[in-house]
Amino acid sequence: MNAKNHKPHAARLPLAFIPPGQQVRLAEFGDEIDPLQREQLIAYGLAESRLLRVLQQRPMTVILADEVELALEHAVARYIWVEKDTGGA
Amino acid sequence: MNAPLTALSSSANAILLVGHPNVGKSVLFHRLTGAYVNVSNYPGTTVEVTRASARFDREVTLLDTPGVLSLPSRSDDERATMRALLNENTRCLVQVGDAKNLRRTLTLTALLAELGVPMVLALNMHDEAAARGVIVDIPALAEELGIPVMATVATGGEGIGELTNSLGHAQPPQALLRYDAEIEKAIGQAAAAINRIAPHPQLAARGLAILFLGGDTEVTGWLAEKAGADFAELVALRQKTEQAGKGKLATQLARERTEAADALATSAIRRAARSSPLLSQRIGQYVVDPLWGVPILLGMLFLVYEFVGVFGATTLVGLLEKDLFEGILNPAFSHFVTAAVNVPWVTELLVGKYGLWTMGMTYALALILPIVSTFFFAFGVLEDSGYLPRLTVIANRLFALIGLNGRAVLPMVLGLGCVTMATLTTRILHSPRERMITIFLLALAIPCSAQLGVVLGMLGGVSFTAVLIWALAMLMILMLAGFLAAKLIPGRRIPLVTELPPMRLPILGNVFKKTGGRLKWYLIEVIPLFLLGTFIMFALDKTGALPFIIRAGEPLVSGWLGLPKEASAAFVMGFLRRDFGATGLFAMADTLSPIQAVVGMITITLFIPCFASLMMMVKEQGIKVALAMVAVIVPFAFLIGGLFNIVLHAIWS
Repeated sequence: MNAKNHKPHAARLPLAFIPPGQQVRLAEFGDEIDPLQREQLIAYGLAESRLLRVLQQRPMTVILADEVELALEHAVARYIWVEKDTGGA
Repeated sequence: MNAPLTALSSSANAILLVGHPNVGKSVLFHRLTGAYVNVSNYPGTTVEVTRASARFDREVTLLDTPGVLSLPSRSDDERATMRALLNENTRCLVQVGDAKNLRRTLTLTALLAELGVPMVLALNMHDEAAARGVIVDIPALAEELGIPVMATVATGGEGIGELTNSLGHAQPPQALLRYDAEIEKAIGQAAAAINRIAPHPQLAARGLAILFLGGDTEVTGWLAEKAGADFAELVALRQKTEQAGKGKLATQLARERTEAADALATSAIRRAARSSPLLSQRIGQYVVDPLWGVPILLGMLFLVYEFVGVFGATTLVGLLEKDLFEGILNPAFSHFVTAAVNVPWVTELLVGKYGLWTMGMTYALALILPIVSTFFFAFGVLEDSGYLPRLTVIANRLFALIGLNGRAVLPMVLGLGCVTMATLTTRILHSPRERMITIFLLALAIPCSAQLGVVLGMLGGVSFTAVLIWALAMLMILMLAGFLAAKLIPGRRIPLVTELPPMRLPILGNVFKKTGGRLKWYLIEVIPLFLLGTFIMFALDKTGALPFIIRAGEPLVSGWLGLPKEASAAFVMGFLRRDFGATGLFAMADTLSPIQAVVGMITITLFIPCFASLMMMVKEQGIKVALAMVAVIVPFAFLIGGLFNIVLHAIWS
């Protein structure tokens, strides 16, 4: 929600759509993600307005969050909403 | 190491190592105790609490707990850690964190701090953080948290002395946050109730209240038992708070802890500029690349086959079995026994056809040991390199077909080492359904290293085609059985989300230690069972039961499977350990045709793994489920073996 307030005109895209090499900012988790899995994502350090670098999209979405590489199935990455980072990090 | 714990005036004597998975707790445990626990470069290696006396004070017990992704506990390994926190006489906690991921480390600190137990924070893998340009302001962090914070590199022994000394200065950390006002109110009420109806001797009521409101099942169970009828008061409070909240309470609590950790981490981290990704990161990306991932996997499998199947099962076995045992030891021992013991049945028991030495020890030491040693070594190299978690990404799509996610590949690959160990490791899976399917598949179609070595040794001697047919048959049966099990066992599949730890050059000393530890376990577990199995075979032979069993099994073994009738003996041995049975078939290799060899190996691979793994299945799934699995597996093994006998005769002769 903070991200929405911060950048009111930025479009939100599914993380699964972002091409490798791009940096994005996590906006929110969709309700489609199971609550337990949402807790798991938070535990991995994925929080709103966190910067993520997309490393690859196939066979799974692989991101770098801080210095930790995480692999996410598209069924999850499809419902993680992100905004393109415009260099405000 | 100057009596570091004297400052702690408590009769409590346990120090708990807690932290996220794969942050180096077990290596640190080894450094602090000298006791070796299995250590790997992937999450979930430790699934049970291990304890040993500390090197610096033998009165102090150190506990290595399974990694917790988050608390409140959700998985079996997290529950094991929570039980340790609730039940141990804790002197202090050592939180082991990943220095390059301070945010996540502090998210867990934010919760542990509420438990009110003296604590020290070890920021491990400090070297990897520095290589990535992450510099943590340790003194500032220590000041903010109010506890000793140490930078360590457990694998290299850096910072261990300082950590030991700091234990005497452990303090309950300062709180990292105050929760949202409504939640704080609920926490306060729950803590007051806990203090009144179920006080814990060591853990702060506020920490227990946060865990209870977050839905921790272990804390809930402990409070229910302690509070008795009054527990209803706490349940009503949790329900009221859940209903009043905007979302799921556990998620809200976790989110607020993350925000607090984020704020503290931002102030404590200085990030040096880094020009390009590290070589290890690039290699890690190639390994899961859609183009390169599969060729790298096949190349890796080929190397393992060359090392275990060719070098171990052919060269080393040849040297040990033919040259050492059959050429020197067995004739010498037979001569000695015949000369020294003048009782024919004793001579036969020791050095006869089913002799304890000529069969039991020869099988265990000459046939299996070299294969198992090479496998454990190769496996140790893969474990340490960080390749295995990446395998979960490559295997994910395949495992989706059988209702699992790629995480299940870890117990399966571990099962290629030891099915018993792997059955325990299924605790890293997140749902009971995933665990049940994986345990069933492990018991059915995953050969352990001993058996795998025998299979490779035997079928490798026949032809590469024979190995390929066996491997494809196993894969096909695994997929088919998994597909059916996923349809029959209710529940839904959980999508994969996993961390990919850095690729590292394996530390040879660690690989040797690990191989040595596993071989020790192998010798302790396997030799008595091989000797017992040999004795049973001897007794069956002497009482005339074996010829009877061979005759009785003839329609099944010769008629249906197309094997020589003597192979019945191998299946009798297979009930004790299937690698023992496979070794029995291996010993008959000269008399078997290629089709018989393949059919025999397929059938014995599908057998129940061994007595120890059966016991582990009972422990993990209960006796009813374990027996139901065995009732499916044994007839299924013969059914599939017979079908392959028919099909192979039709297409491969």
